[in-house]
Amino acid sequence: MRVLVVEDDAVIADHITACLGTLGYRPERVASGEDALAAIERQRFSGMVLDRLLPGISGIEVLARLRAERRLPPVVMLSALGTVKDRIEGLAAGADDYLAKPFDMDELVARLNAVTRRAAPTPPSDTGLAVGRLKLDPSSHSVLFLDRTIELNRKQFSLLAHLMRCADRLVTRGMLLESVWGYAFTPTTNIVESNMSRLRARLEELGCDPIDTLRGSGYVLRSERCR
Amino acid sequence: MIASPARRAPGPGRLAIQFGVAFALAMLAMGVIVFLVAEERIAQRIDDALQVHVTKFLRPVATGPATDADVIARIQEWQRRKMLSERTYLFYDAAGRLVAGRLDLAAPQPGYSDVTFMGGGKKPQKGRALATRRPDGSLFVVVQHSEAAASLRALLPSVVAAIFVSALLVGLAATILFARLTARRLAETQAAADAIAQGDLTRRIPSDRLDGMFAVQAESLNRMLDRMEDMVNAQRQFSSHLAHDLRTPLTRLRGLLTAETAEADRVRLLERAERECASIITIFDALLRLAEIETGRHPSAVRDLPLRDMLEDIAETMEPVIADAGCALELGRLEPVRVRGDADLFNQMIVNLLENVVTHTPAGTRATLSLEQAGESALIAIDDDGPGLAEGERDRVLLPFERGKGSGLRRGSGLGLAITRAIVRFHQGSLELADNAPGLKVRIRLPALPEAVPAA
Repeated sequence: MRVLVVEDDAVIADHITACLGTLGYRPERVASGEDALAAIERQRFSGMVLDRLLPGISGIEVLARLRAERRLPPVVMLSALGTVKDRIEGLAAGADDYLAKPFDMDELVARLNAVTRRAAPTPPSDTGLAVGRLKLDPSSHSVLFLDRTIELNRKQFSLLAHLMRCADRLVTRGMLLESVWGYAFTPTTNIVESNMSRLRARLEELGCDPIDTLRGSGYVLRSERCR
Repeated sequence: MIASPARRAPGPGRLAIQFGVAFALAMLAMGVIVFLVAEERIAQRIDDALQVHVTKFLRPVATGPATDADVIARIQEWQRRKMLSERTYLFYDAAGRLVAGRLDLAAPQPGYSDVTFMGGGKKPQKGRALATRRPDGSLFVVVQHSEAAASLRALLPSVVAAIFVSALLVGLAATILFARLTARRLAETQAAADAIAQGDLTRRIPSDRLDGMFAVQAESLNRMLDRMEDMVNAQRQFSSHLAHDLRTPLTRLRGLLTAETAEADRVRLLERAERECASIITIFDALLRLAEIETGRHPSAVRDLPLRDMLEDIAETMEPVIADAGCALELGRLEPVRVRGDADLFNQMIVNLLENVVTHTPAGTRATLSLEQAGESALIAIDDDGPGLAEGERDRVLLPFERGKGSGLRRGSGLGLAITRAIVRFHQGSLELADNAPGLKVRIRLPALPEAVPAA
């Protein structure tokens, strides 16, 4: 998968391209907004990692021009400007996700993965929220596996639903806080971990715990364990 | 410290000239009005005098009303006695011919009129005439030469000039004097302002030698300076705390990175180093958030918040976190109260307070979250039976980077309660920490919305 990395800081750019390279992406690196526009002129990219503050035209301007030309690939915007307002501005300009510096590489990869999949022509089917034989019943907040049913509380239910929607993909704590809780702040306690361990304890009662914890980065729901 | 250059004493300046001219113009206007009034009065007196003389000359004789001959005789009698006078009497017969009197004047209309005649045969003179038509058609006229009014008018330019010049001078002098007196009183303020500009924040304006509005102004400025000194000190303290709080993880980080480590321990070392980085990032995130809320730059979606639902949701989220720390969270009474607010900020406010239970109380602590309508306020209470805070600490911990004495662990950013307080202030509410004997009682009051009227 071809990914354009637009970052003027050489150390960060090296780090991102090296990391994406080892994960099987084909990253191309440019250091300015003008070069980014030229690169997209030349060839198609499946995704873009775009720094907000660039020499010359800014990341926001790059988004605006590409959007006007209808050639905007899925974008994760990076920025040292990390307030909620900056984030909203980035998303409004056309970025699919926004990551404040300093960030974790796993976080960037997970988000890039999420936005490129979202833009893929065949989105994963969400009908009835079922992965393998694990099924959700939103009306009763319950989860079904084989012939057993357990009820979950609202938080556990939305947590599981989100993981099922992103089955087989890494979902970081930050992504869960944003999409399940809708929190724009960073809690200082292990909110995600504690709720996740409750959810997994409930799923074990059901005889099916398809969630893997990737230490330090996040969680993956494995679809092959739901059969 | 560099001494401030001696300041030039300010001159009377444009203000004095403007004030002097305005004063002079006002005096000029007054002079013109006085002149106009005086002239009007003189004209009135001339008219009155004319009427008196008409009455006197036309007065009846012993046998009945005065005849034309009587009046003519009276005129001639008067002419014999007076050779020079400012008055002239004229008598015209019914055909309009002059029969008595020494003035070359065509018969004027009956009543008052302004007339022009040749006085002394050479120069035209102006006068005021009162003509009275007699029953037989003859006309009796008294003419008053308007010398008084004319001379009054002649005086006008010089009087006006004199008034203008003297008023201008008096106005300028008064303004300069006033400016001098004001400047002398403001000099104290100026000296204090210069000293403060040089960095002496403890300097105040001595108000004991001042009076009236100057004293009031000095006191008001001094109050402002007190407040500013407090704020500057708070800012300095904030910066020094920040520096300290950043140095600690940075020092540990450097220690980790420079330590001689066996190959096998490298991974563990890097993980510890990353944790130190994370705690530095946590402080910066919290700082950004605090600044964002305090300066009102937070993009706020203010709407009606159903507090009961929101608190139930937060309790559901935080219960496992608190349980994992060996503590317990219970829900007290939750009344259906609504406030106007920002959902994201509200969540952070309550989550912060519950995280404090996790971070700053020992295992076994029980916390209760409750919500009630107290008058016009929504009262949110978080009570715990942990170690609580000493009397003096309860206000201090609300300040950035201030922690309770018991929290030796130094977990968190040290900004949690400062952020909570900023959020409460954003919602125009109040935050109060009190003794729960034992434990800590946190009370948040937010202006509640009136209860929803049930649909009819």
